Amino acid sequence: MSDQHSDRVALRARAVTKRYGTTTALAGVDLDVLAGESVAVMGTSGSGKTTLLHCLAGIVAPDEGQVVLSTSSGPVRVDSLNEAGRTRLRREQLGFVFQEGLLVPELTAVENVALALMLRGEKRRAAEQEAARWLAALGLAGMEQRRIGQLSGGQAQRVAIARAQVASPRVVFADEPTGALDSTTSAEVMDLLLASVASAGRTLVVVTHDEDVAARCSRVVRLRDGAVVSDSRVRA
Amino acid sequence: MSRLQGATAVPARLTWLLLRRGWDSPAGTLLPVAAFTAVTALSLTVVAGAWSFWRWDDDLAVAYQMLAGFAVVLLLMPLMALAGSAARLSARRRDQRLSTLRLLGATPWQVRVMSLLESSGLAALGAVAGVLVHLLAGPLVQQVPFRGEPIGAAYWLPVWTLLVAPLVIGLLAAVSAGISLQRVVVSPLGVRTRQPAPALSPVRVAVAVVVLTATFLALRAAGGLGVAVGIAILLGGFAASMAVLNLLGPWVVGVLARWSRRTARSPELLLAAAGTADAPKAVWRQVGAVPLLGFVSVVLGSGAALMIASDGHVSGPERFLPQDIRTGLLITVVVSFLVVACSVAVNAAAEVYDRADLYRSLHKLGMTPRSLQRSRSASVMVPLVWMTVLGTLAGSLLAFPLVGMALLSDPVTVLVVLACVVAGVLVVAVALAGTRPVLASVLRP
Repeated sequence: MSDQHSDRVALRARAVTKRYGTTTALAGVDLDVLAGESVAVMGTSGSGKTTLLHCLAGIVAPDEGQVVLSTSSGPVRVDSLNEAGRTRLRREQLGFVFQEGLLVPELTAVENVALALMLRGEKRRAAEQEAARWLAALGLAGMEQRRIGQLSGGQAQRVAIARAQVASPRVVFADEPTGALDSTTSAEVMDLLLASVASAGRTLVVVTHDEDVAARCSRVVRLRDGAVVSDSRVRA
Repeated sequence: MSRLQGATAVPARLTWLLLRRGWDSPAGTLLPVAAFTAVTALSLTVVAGAWSFWRWDDDLAVAYQMLAGFAVVLLLMPLMALAGSAARLSARRRDQRLSTLRLLGATPWQVRVMSLLESSGLAALGAVAGVLVHLLAGPLVQQVPFRGEPIGAAYWLPVWTLLVAPLVIGLLAAVSAGISLQRVVVSPLGVRTRQPAPALSPVRVAVAVVVLTATFLALRAAGGLGVAVGIAILLGGFAASMAVLNLLGPWVVGVLARWSRRTARSPELLLAAAGTADAPKAVWRQVGAVPLLGFVSVVLGSGAALMIASDGHVSGPERFLPQDIRTGLLITVVVSFLVVACSVAVNAAAEVYDRADLYRSLHKLGMTPRSLQRSRSASVMVPLVWMTVLGTLAGSLLAFPLVGMALLSDPVTVLVVLACVVAGVLVVAVALAGTRPVLASVLRP
């Protein structure tokens, strides 16, 4: 592997294995995600795609193997961090978009986005200003004070995208980000997610079963029975 | 007959299957049972204590009986809140399963029968355990002295009440489940439990001012009348003041929460305040008994302190009244706090299940379990402490000269009563901390 390639790796997985009881969810996965890439992880139900996302993002620790995240202060072995360390890593280095947004219903759109910054210790006022900037960039100017229940599914997912990126994460993880949306809204949200990640020079890992979503990413990794069966670049 | 048997046999079998599976996650099944155990044990013990006062038939007995009745009424609110919490917890755990069954084609009748069987079954089980706890606690409670002698054998309620209690508790749970179920049967897509914040109409404020002024004047006039009439006026004034506090409570909780929300600097406090601002009625239902008790404790505690200070001038059976008021008040405060603590714990656990997906997502975003717990605690403790301080201040204002004199003449009694209120707030904090394992269980990936 060339040094140039190594320099560009944002996230590296080596022989990552995860078992739940007698079931092997991941069986020695190797994967390099380059900085600025958008990677779609695909596979049928039970193929291990969500478990891979959880291992890469430090939500669970793999039973075997290594996960290394490149940060501004050097590479971090995610797999060797304890629960508190992984939680801090997620807060400070990663962003997340979930299937149904999972935004806090009592908070307004701007408060939901600012929450990610406040969790990192930012002052509320500054956090809300930055959050409002992100909401405006995603086409939600004027909706900052709306509750989540007052937004459409697509708008709520845009709030989730803003929340995932407001804290300038190294990598954004998205778990079926358009799973709860119709096809038109899904395309709009995916375009916004990709454009916002690309414009900020960040890396995106999307777990999806939707071929249309995968086709919008720069690379598609397919899993079967916990192992990578194909890895192809869709576009440069 | 056979059609009816067929209509109930399937839901009964399904309920049994789901209940057996329910033990795999004991918190969801054991918690309602434990809550109903607490409701039954505390209700029976309170009623038994009050019941024991009916063994006297002299002139002073009426005063004791009125005070006992007042204590029971005071405890009714937290007990009903606890029973409601327990019923809601078991209903919320069921809602999703029953909605799924409806989507799979179960008839409304089958869903209704299953819900009623499960709710009343768990409640009756808890109630039977509660009767046992009540009986086991008997020898201890029998030692409490009133009128110079321990309660003793007068504590025991007639046997039939102990037999009927589980049936009544089971029936109440079934009614509660029936009401909550109406929404599931109508809509298989689930329910929302939050209620909008109540608006404060000028009429409410006017009613509050009139009632509090009338109570203030009545309490002034009560001093020169006989013991029984004086206590009747006192209790009437209390009832009116408490009704007013109950009327204003949710609104004050809402105002404080909206202010906290605007000024919150940490994510924990922001989440807590936003949750409270969204459902002030629900928060008041949980913690409202504490400020009401703070209010009552200050006035009655001061009254008892003054009576104890002037003890030397009283002889005969009346000489026990001041100490007995203090004893009764302390028991009421302690029992009430226990009930509120149970209710808060049950509600907190139910909320964790309700919002499991959201808590998991916040944890994935990097919010530590400790932060999440702190936020959940703040959502109860901040309004609890605020409202307790306000309730206690309201009581102090209502009986201003009384409190001042009591503090000078018998500070120990006043301080003991206030210490009990503070201890009660701490007990609620401990109860909340006790739900940490429930949160940990849903955060586990």
